[in-house]
Amino acid sequence: MRRFLFLAAALLLLALLAAVWVESRQPQAIPLTPTLTGESEYCLTCHAGLDEISPSHPVEAFGCVICHGGERLALDADLAHSTLRGGANPSDLTVVEQSCGGSDCHSGSAADERDHIQRVQTSIQATYAGAIASTRYTFGAQPDLNARLGIRAIQDPHTATGITALDAFDPAQESSASLHAFAENCLNCHIYAPPRPGDAYRRYTGCAACHTPTQPASTGTVHTLTTAISYEQCNACHNRGNYDLRTMQFVERLDAPADRLHAYYQPIAQFTRCEWTLDCIDCHTRSEAMGDGDLHPSQADIQYIQCKTCHGTRAEPPITRTLTDPDDLAFRLAFLNPVLDLQIGDTILVTENGEPLWNIRQLPDGTYELFGKATGQRFTFRAVMDTGCQQNPDEQESRYCHQCHAVDR
Amino acid sequence: MSLTRRDFLKLTTNALLWTSGVLGLGGILRFLSYTPPEDAPRELDLGPVADYPPGTRTLVAGGSALLIHDDAGFRALSTTCTHLGCRVNVKPDGFLCPCHGSRFDPQGTVLNGPAQENLPALEITVTPENHLLLSAPPAH
Repeated sequence: MRRFLFLAAALLLLALLAAVWVESRQPQAIPLTPTLTGESEYCLTCHAGLDEISPSHPVEAFGCVICHGGERLALDADLAHSTLRGGANPSDLTVVEQSCGGSDCHSGSAADERDHIQRVQTSIQATYAGAIASTRYTFGAQPDLNARLGIRAIQDPHTATGITALDAFDPAQESSASLHAFAENCLNCHIYAPPRPGDAYRRYTGCAACHTPTQPASTGTVHTLTTAISYEQCNACHNRGNYDLRTMQFVERLDAPADRLHAYYQPIAQFTRCEWTLDCIDCHTRSEAMGDGDLHPSQADIQYIQCKTCHGTRAEPPITRTLTDPDDLAFRLAFLNPVLDLQIGDTILVTENGEPLWNIRQLPDGTYELFGKATGQRFTFRAVMDTGCQQNPDEQESRYCHQCHAVDR
Repeated sequence: MSLTRRDFLKLTTNALLWTSGVLGLGGILRFLSYTPPEDAPRELDLGPVADYPPGTRTLVAGGSALLIHDDAGFRALSTTCTHLGCRVNVKPDGFLCPCHGSRFDPQGTVLNGPAQENLPALEITVTPENHLLLSAPPAH
């Protein structure tokens, strides 16, 4: 009995000493109470040195937990991270609604242009509907090129395109070996999927696929969201090689281009100067890249910017709009990426669909200035009208313009 | 005097129990003596009225409010944006939220969104000692 008592006392003391030791190893908590939540969180205890993710998400207002999840009062790393949403990437599309949603944030209404999440989830970047449809059509799994399947099942009952729903693409339901190979080798090119291995393909999933500049793996993860997206970010997906439809393998490009003009992979493609000096987002709009809220059958169906959008035709100048409303979407976009000081009274270009090309402003002499969204660089250009251009106004695809304006590669 | 094995065990056991007791008592005392962080004061003394002469606009309460002394007297506006809680910047012609671009006129009225609500007015009172008391800005 006495020996048992001795052992129990020893164990009790050991347990208490262990508790004191564990307690003494806890870091001194650095509390933060964000104005948005009003709830204290201790994340800065370990993450105080992290860069502010963007000027629109200051940590004093947002904190960390509202976007990332996690255990806000835990000081143990494993416990604190045990309930993170999306791991290090809360914008992954599987969790984006909880992380980035909310009517004041990114799942507002189409009317206030804040339905970012709905638009992205129905976009070609997320559904991959065009590639799935064309491949299934090629191998006889469907009778036409109409989009029926997407990466995930999704509905859009109010669509303007006639596609009200996509079922989930299930390779197990396919009989063609080519479609099995397609599923195995070719489903990296949508923003639900992690990228192929290698620095050249490095990107995140979800919103961060475009909005977080990716770095070589050796430089680690960055804590940044930006609307100043350079062409290099787009190239991580769009300029890295081709799928071989005979073998259903991705054929990686192996060349090492010395300049940007030659960095465009498609060997026979032609480019005008603006196509390789500007960044992709200088011309292509948010609807083209992020979707317009409707399900579309293919990339070609959503991509609509043409040369004439900025340059007009021989018969008419490009479409413009003079800014009179301080709530104009152009001001909001220019505020988020202030490469120019947009003012009431400025005349900007707009697309055929009414999207503001807020970085392109008409000058008093009738010419136009464009500010690179990623570089801030200023370019000037003029419209086609009243020039020597002989192009038929009905022939506005880029291939017609390339006949005179393509650069030698 | 020789120590028997039984006495040694008894002595050691007592020492272990006493040490455990002291440690445990220390833990209990620490638990009982914990005082949670105090809530922010509901009212803030801004100092003598004379410190804020007519025509001045002064950021107070750590920048969370703007005290205005104009012809109508003293008034104060919260500088927390009603959209998502960012601290707005004070401009000559009003307020600008650096996060999402909401603008407010000098009275705190929304000029353009995304904020939908005006900047809240905060209560200012003058004490018998001629000090200004600012009611705490409400939580967002």
